[in-house]
Amino acid sequence: MTSAQGSPLVVIACQVFQSLIEKYLPEGMAEQVTFKDYGLHRVPSKLTWSVQEEIDNIEDPSLIMLGYGLCGNGLKGIKSREHTLLIPRTDDCIAVLLGSYKKYIQEFDATPGTYYLTKGWLESGSNPLQEYHECVAKYGEKDATWIMDQQYQNYERIAFVAHNQEDLEKYRPQAKEVAEYCKRWGMRYEEILGSDIYVRRLIEIASSPTKTDADFLVIPPGGEVTQEMFMR
Amino acid sequence: MSEIFEKLSTAVLEGDAEKTHKLVERGLKQGLSPKEILDNGLIVGMDEVGSRFKRGDMFVPEVLMSADSMAAGMEILRPLLVESGVEMLGKVVMGTVKGDLHDIGKNLVSMLCEGAGFEIIDIGFNAGPEKFIEAIKQHQPQVVGMSAMLTTTMRAMGQTIKAIEEAGLRDRVKIMVGGAPVDRDFANTIGADGYGSNAPSGADLAKQLVGAA
Repeated sequence: MTSAQGSPLVVIACQVFQSLIEKYLPEGMAEQVTFKDYGLHRVPSKLTWSVQEEIDNIEDPSLIMLGYGLCGNGLKGIKSREHTLLIPRTDDCIAVLLGSYKKYIQEFDATPGTYYLTKGWLESGSNPLQEYHECVAKYGEKDATWIMDQQYQNYERIAFVAHNQEDLEKYRPQAKEVAEYCKRWGMRYEEILGSDIYVRRLIEIASSPTKTDADFLVIPPGGEVTQEMFMR
Repeated sequence: MSEIFEKLSTAVLEGDAEKTHKLVERGLKQGLSPKEILDNGLIVGMDEVGSRFKRGDMFVPEVLMSADSMAAGMEILRPLLVESGVEMLGKVVMGTVKGDLHDIGKNLVSMLCEGAGFEIIDIGFNAGPEKFIEAIKQHQPQVVGMSAMLTTTMRAMGQTIKAIEEAGLRDRVKIMVGGAPVDRDFANTIGADGYGSNAPSGADLAKQLVGAA
């Protein structure tokens, strides 16, 4: 199968989008689908070389759909080589999970100090409570508490983003457990029903790239991802 | 002599506050100057922390432990540095820009600038342009330092610089920027006077901006 552009479609995405992409990507549409480890964004330079390595391993000129945002500059410097890259034009996964850049900015302006929890982040154990446990094991309780306070004391809200009622209910106890711990900084717990529209549009544009708009970046062969491309 | 400096930088790198404290005291007893201890011991350690963090060989908790060790050393050195008449270099207004509440880096740069001889006016986190403008008017600093930790909030740096320009204050201050997503190109694009890639280089930059380095 190929994309409408005539080149094979390859998907390289963060695991945080796995369930959404698997749900909407028509079977056989992509020649290759790779979901990469959640944790890569913690060290943006590792994200860069790891994604670049995937791209460099693709032999035939392809349309590559990258399931990443700028991710702390993790995508900055990625070269398309002989391929075409299609990327959501967002700072990180949150805008994609909320459904639009606009919604993300609205949430951000309302409460900049928000820590987002998602099904993926909960599953991968990337949250303040888990971090606290890891720090206790390494530094003991007193230092661990101090380390956590330093990092999170300015946050105001912990928001769990889920895409359907089922996920909301399934992951709520875990989200609330984290939220309970975060109360020590006065963080309030909220639930936000995310939207799958950004992922659906990404897949739609992968099948007909001419439909692209300001919410997406298309990097032609020989191109390179820059930070400015994401600024709006 | 170099042995104690090496031990000090290692203690900072390993985030051992107690050891750092003891070594600073030992250095002073051996007759080393506070400035030597700061520059050749503490800052050398912090420099290495900055490089390792960038490479992904160190994470935020370790950096915090190192910063805390640095602070433990600074606690002893600060009054001595003032006493020994280290030249006061001027004032720095420091804050994280609007929307950004990550202040670990900003606090670290403040501490290092203080060690270098600056008076710090800390306007905290999530500081809107008006807060920077007010602080410039009130304190008349030579340098303004802005920090942003997210690509979402780094845009606010450009907006803040623009607001400072519109308030007619731009030529009165040098502006330095830093934070994880910021780089030299971005700093140039928004019209900053300088960019610091890590905390020690932020403090060095402040010195350069006032012509003291």
